[in-house]
Amino acid sequence: MYNLVMKDLKLGISPWFLALPLFTGALMLIPGWVYFLVPMYFCFITVPNMFGGFKSQHDLLFSTMMPVTKKDIVKARFAVIVVLELLHLLIAMIFGAFTLRLYPNLTYIFFAPHPGFWGLCFVMLAIFNLILLPMYYKTAYKYGAATTVSSTAAILFALAVQWAGIRIAALNDIFYGPGTENTGLQLSILLAGVLVFTAFTLIAYRVSARRFLKVEII
Amino acid sequence: MLALEVRHLHKKYADFQLKDVSFQLEKGYIMGFIGANGAGKTTTIKSILNMIRVDSGEIRVLGKNIAEHEMELKQDIGCAFGDIDFYTRSKIKTLTAITKKFYKNWSDDVYYSYLRRFKLDENKKIAELSRGMKVKYSLALALSHGAKLLILDEPTSGLDPVSRDDLLGVFQQLIMDGEISILFSTHITSDLEKCADFITFIQDGRIVASAEKNDLLESYRLLSGSEKQLHEVKERLISYKINSFGFTGLIHTSDFDHSSDIHAAAPSLEEIMIYFAKKEDVYV
Repeated sequence: MYNLVMKDLKLGISPWFLALPLFTGALMLIPGWVYFLVPMYFCFITVPNMFGGFKSQHDLLFSTMMPVTKKDIVKARFAVIVVLELLHLLIAMIFGAFTLRLYPNLTYIFFAPHPGFWGLCFVMLAIFNLILLPMYYKTAYKYGAATTVSSTAAILFALAVQWAGIRIAALNDIFYGPGTENTGLQLSILLAGVLVFTAFTLIAYRVSARRFLKVEII
Repeated sequence: MLALEVRHLHKKYADFQLKDVSFQLEKGYIMGFIGANGAGKTTTIKSILNMIRVDSGEIRVLGKNIAEHEMELKQDIGCAFGDIDFYTRSKIKTLTAITKKFYKNWSDDVYYSYLRRFKLDENKKIAELSRGMKVKYSLALALSHGAKLLILDEPTSGLDPVSRDDLLGVFQQLIMDGEISILFSTHITSDLEKCADFITFIQDGRIVASAEKNDLLESYRLLSGSEKQLHEVKERLISYKINSFGFTGLIHTSDFDHSSDIHAAAPSLEEIMIYFAKKEDVYV
């Protein structure tokens, strides 16, 4: 599996997409912006370009010619996607920490980059993975519908929690009010988000691997 | 020992099916796999490489079932798809550096000896290689990981006659020590007349013949004669064409009465393919 991951990182993915998290992460420095958009750039830009590259370079045929199992092909691709997602989130979190210190008295309309917000971002990417990858692995090359549906689901989740965060008092307290000072609560939400991300991605892997076993390399 | 054995392969699609495909390739020989476009050559090859799930049948490579020993056997198989390129914007050395990690028997010495032999510059990008050089690069990769069976899907299609002849010479050199076997699909039958030991002919998803090349050519006769003579043999012909001089038609040698005064000649592989395709047209 390691060789497949290295194949993706060295051949399949343009180095630009490894650098992109630095640029999207820097957008966290815009005061009071819609920070949900930062990890969403991974969904909008990296995923379709990366999958388009795999398709145009016949990566599926290339991989299946190698002495590797089909499960390992899926596992390696999941590993690469998760690494890129974590790169986007971790770099954005670092920039977000600077933002909180740079603009301490800002009134946020959209979520501020507190740890709890990053928990929500993990859930958003969990939903994205859960829809994108099993849909993609029905064919292992058609990515248009999978990207559209999964990105739409991620946007709807972001809109729903943003709306709830503004309109529902209990949530407003957590993300805008005294809850932002409660480090334990914030870290708990972050941890819950990481757990949801892990669980959903594992489920997505199991479904994808099962589907890919049935895919014929034509 | 058999390098490849395909037994009773069946695979059904909505508009096409492989029907009871069986053939075998002995170690140290070149088998030409011929058939018209869409006859089932690539489907069979992808079945051999376990890229397609067959409905039934068995494929054995070097004596082992590919479905059960895929990882192990793919270490011993080298393949090239003539019309498909991978990562064309990468340099040869980059693609090689990635590819070699997958093979436990990889030898850099062997690899560089083939690069020299094939005059390949590893700093060139795949896109900069001619089609013939791309096939040679695939061969260099396959041989550097010690592949015993080379499965080449239309490796000479799109090549000029000089490059084709050069490549066919390479194939013949490769099998000389008896360790390497080559299954080589093509619809350019003249290539096989030059270098193949065995021929497997597939037509509409069904194997028409699989035999030693000269035996296969001997088992058919191309008849030519007047229209009157056509009536004598019409029922026994595989198919025939009427022309201004009379007719030409293909017949099984066993169905031909050698005392007849109809002119009979040994057909080429191309003529066998054409007359079998014509037979299908008649039934359609």
